[in-house]
Amino acid sequence: MSECQAVREQLLDAIRARLAEPERARVERHLETCAECRTIFERERALDRALGKRPTYALPSALRAELSLRVTPSKAKRSLARSAAILGPSLAAAVLVLLLVRSWANPNQELVTEAVNDHLRVLYAEHPVEIESGGIHQVKPWFTGRLDFAPVLSFSGDDEFPMQGGAVALFVDRKAATFIFKHKLHTITLFVFRSEGLSWPLRHNATLGPLPATSAHVRGFNSLLWRDGDLGYALVSDVDAGELERLGLKLNLR
Amino acid sequence: MRRPSREGESFGAQLLTHADALYNFARYLTRDAALSEDLVQEAFARALDAEAQFALGSNLKAWLFRILRNAFLDRRRRERKSPVEFREASDDIADAKDVWLRGDLEIDRLRGLVVSDIEAALARLSDDARAVVLLDLEGFTEIEIAKVMEIAVGTVKSRLARARAVLREALQEYAK
Repeated sequence: MSECQAVREQLLDAIRARLAEPERARVERHLETCAECRTIFERERALDRALGKRPTYALPSALRAELSLRVTPSKAKRSLARSAAILGPSLAAAVLVLLLVRSWANPNQELVTEAVNDHLRVLYAEHPVEIESGGIHQVKPWFTGRLDFAPVLSFSGDDEFPMQGGAVALFVDRKAATFIFKHKLHTITLFVFRSEGLSWPLRHNATLGPLPATSAHVRGFNSLLWRDGDLGYALVSDVDAGELERLGLKLNLR
Repeated sequence: MRRPSREGESFGAQLLTHADALYNFARYLTRDAALSEDLVQEAFARALDAEAQFALGSNLKAWLFRILRNAFLDRRRRERKSPVEFREASDDIADAKDVWLRGDLEIDRLRGLVVSDIEAALARLSDDARAVVLLDLEGFTEIEIAKVMEIAVGTVKSRLARARAVLREALQEYAK
């Protein structure tokens, strides 16, 4: 089997980060020198990114409730009912504590997933930009009266990350100031929103100057989320995570 | 009798953590919301009944997905519904033209696709091919996909490669 054939058989595993050493290094070395295999590698990644846009069907809540009931052992159900009758409010409090502990142990990814969904909504909107960017001093005042907070932003784009404009969009369950940046052919969406009441990821794996941030990869998109005061910020795009962090740093230069 | 809890969670609670992914998979398998709900219910019922047969330490998610797929196949056999739809994966070979090296143009075009294009392209695959693609995207390894589909690992590899080639071809058409 030629080197190219051997590498091509491993491309999907390489993309899925499932190769152990020394295979991983071997594939990487080969891709550096073989333009043909690199094209195939990029094409597979492009297909993955495209497939990442496939719809996700949410489990209906009625079915979830039914399944929850089904998996609860009948003995436990009886004792739960008895306990509920006796303990009432204290049981509810205990359940609440349990849920809080679980959410602490498993950082919530919902916000990240929602950020990606909202980015896609912006991309597919008929008019993603409601106000063309003539600089930050034109875009920011436009939000006055359209939002119940003032988005704090000091970066108005540069040659590398030109700002296309702004719009008001929904972020999870609230209105957000949405700024659209370009990087080469990619679109980057920045959502600025009130962070209060959102189930924020607790695991920080990046920093933007003094601010801790959460970087995540979902369905082929990278996102970077951080908080500054009362406001939350989410950058989402299909650019590399490193590029997103560079824009994040520019946004946080004071 | 219920098996003692594993890693502090009951068997049922562990099943429940895969319910979202299972339902999503069922939707792609059946392309029918009501049927997907039935299948998820049936898969849970079968899994709970067969708890004793689940080997500790093996992959619960793959086991549950296999149960759902078998429930789907049983139903299809019972109903003998539209055998034309239930194409073998070999049908895909004829559809899959060699699209090896379109390079940058292909990659750029794929960027412009919308959700409905992706959905339509996936719907064009045979049931088996779509299942393999979805399981791969769901994060299963080829060995795990082989267990879910009850086929050889080599078959998974070739089926996945063919299905992705068909998808690329279909998506190129939508992207034009």
